[in-house]
Amino acid sequence: MTGQPDLGRADLLTMLAELTAKPAAEVPDRIGSMELAWLVHLVEQRYERRLDLTDDDLAGIRTVDDALAVFRASLTAPADG
Amino acid sequence: MAAEDPPVVHPGWVDEVLFAGRPTDICLRLPEPIDRAALHRLVTAAQDRLAAAGLRPGGAAALRLPPSLAYVVNLLATWRTGAQAILLDHRLTDHEVDRALVRLTPQVVVAPLRTGAGALKVFVDVTESITRYADRPAVSRHAVIQLSSGSTGPSKVIGRTAADLVAEVRRYTRIDGVALPGERIILLPSMVHVLGLVGGLLYGLHASVELVPPQRLSGDAVLAAIDAEPTPATVLGVPFHIGLLASTRPAGPLPQLRRMTTGGELVPAAVTNAFTDRYGVPLGNMYGMTEVGVIGTDLHGSHRPSIAPAPGIEVRESGGELWVSCPASPYVGSSDPTRWADGWLHTRDAGTVDEVTGLVTVRGRLDSQVSVGGLKVDLTEVESTVAELPGVAAAVVVWDDGITAYVQPDGPLSEEVLDKLLAERLAGYKRPRVLRLLDQLPRTTTGKLVRSTDALRSAATP
Repeated sequence: MTGQPDLGRADLLTMLAELTAKPAAEVPDRIGSMELAWLVHLVEQRYERRLDLTDDDLAGIRTVDDALAVFRASLTAPADG
Repeated sequence: MAAEDPPVVHPGWVDEVLFAGRPTDICLRLPEPIDRAALHRLVTAAQDRLAAAGLRPGGAAALRLPPSLAYVVNLLATWRTGAQAILLDHRLTDHEVDRALVRLTPQVVVAPLRTGAGALKVFVDVTESITRYADRPAVSRHAVIQLSSGSTGPSKVIGRTAADLVAEVRRYTRIDGVALPGERIILLPSMVHVLGLVGGLLYGLHASVELVPPQRLSGDAVLAAIDAEPTPATVLGVPFHIGLLASTRPAGPLPQLRRMTTGGELVPAAVTNAFTDRYGVPLGNMYGMTEVGVIGTDLHGSHRPSIAPAPGIEVRESGGELWVSCPASPYVGSSDPTRWADGWLHTRDAGTVDEVTGLVTVRGRLDSQVSVGGLKVDLTEVESTVAELPGVAAAVVVWDDGITAYVQPDGPLSEEVLDKLLAERLAGYKRPRVLRLLDQLPRTTTGKLVRSTDALRSAATP
């Protein structure tokens, strides 16, 4: 994980706040495909690696917490596995 | 339409305008190159399949396909058949699609039989199936039918003739700053909607500009697409994509990148500056509508926030609203004179036209339409869908930096149930990001629902 601290819920809220121009405290929990693409992009930029996510992984993501669980699982998987 | 005036879409324009270039020119890079001759073969074969399924000249084919080679091929095949293409965004729900099909009675529906991995893809791999639907002529003489989120509940049905599409393609060729023959467009917007359809696909085919959808919806993938060939590249997108690129660190210089052009709402100056500081190329802006296509542009980023009307387009201001020249009503079915009359489309955009320079400044919507990732959503459609759900007594849907629904249940109703019901009825981009259940929605003394976001927010605060 290139020395980056573990990904937390607050990180995702900060990323969404950047997209929606809302304070992180007011970011809705529900996310759509655009918010999801934004999160994947920023998480990949931060960890300098591609997240290997399947359609099923992504289809199950409805909320910030869902996204966090999927991202964490992907980040702890071997980078080139 | 009168019986003696059968709907016919003359097919000759496809070859004259879109297939006239050299057979060896690359049309698409997916990333394997597809040249014009290969695309033509694919289109001809698709015409045979559409005909076998029941598509006839003067009929209509509904395309319910994600952006894909199958979509491009079936669209062009429909037009070469002399039929009308009804474009249904693949994100629409069965509920939304069924309503459209009943109204538009296509002869065939083309939908994915199988879709390859679509995770964060801009362009997907689709094997399509063609199903016979109705044996009726097209409902109008338009070459293309698109649905737009409607203010009266169901979607507005917008039609454009082949002549109108060709005129828009030619309009693009006269705009300074568009990608030139031999160059590439890195294509991010969906080709089901007007910017990606005409500004990307049709202009690209006409002008021999290669269309390159990135392998994935991420900043890195866009940069990789730019870097994959030595020829000049223009990135076409919506404001969301500016943020993607502005937050991506390029691995090295990108001498091929000429500019980025986006349609849709204006972005904050901070985002614009972040992009231009990082890439050192112009960030162009376009203003257009499904009804007429491109209306005006500022491709050099020199008039921001204003735009110059596109060649052949007239824009005027009437009572604070922008009106755009549009010879015929673009609406199918009963035309609302408050939306189009006497050759003018009433945009419902507030704005001004500078008397001296002719520059147009758009200042926001006059109705309840909002833009979500470049897609237009009418809050009235969302609100009427929520209000009609079982278990809902009343609902107010507002834009509060995102689609927000305040719902007064009629008995026991959970957010989860509400969310599930909405997922069956509304495409994802139209669905509220925030749902608030209230015992009583705030009302005025005369009993009308209150729409002020402040009042709704405080009513929802425990």
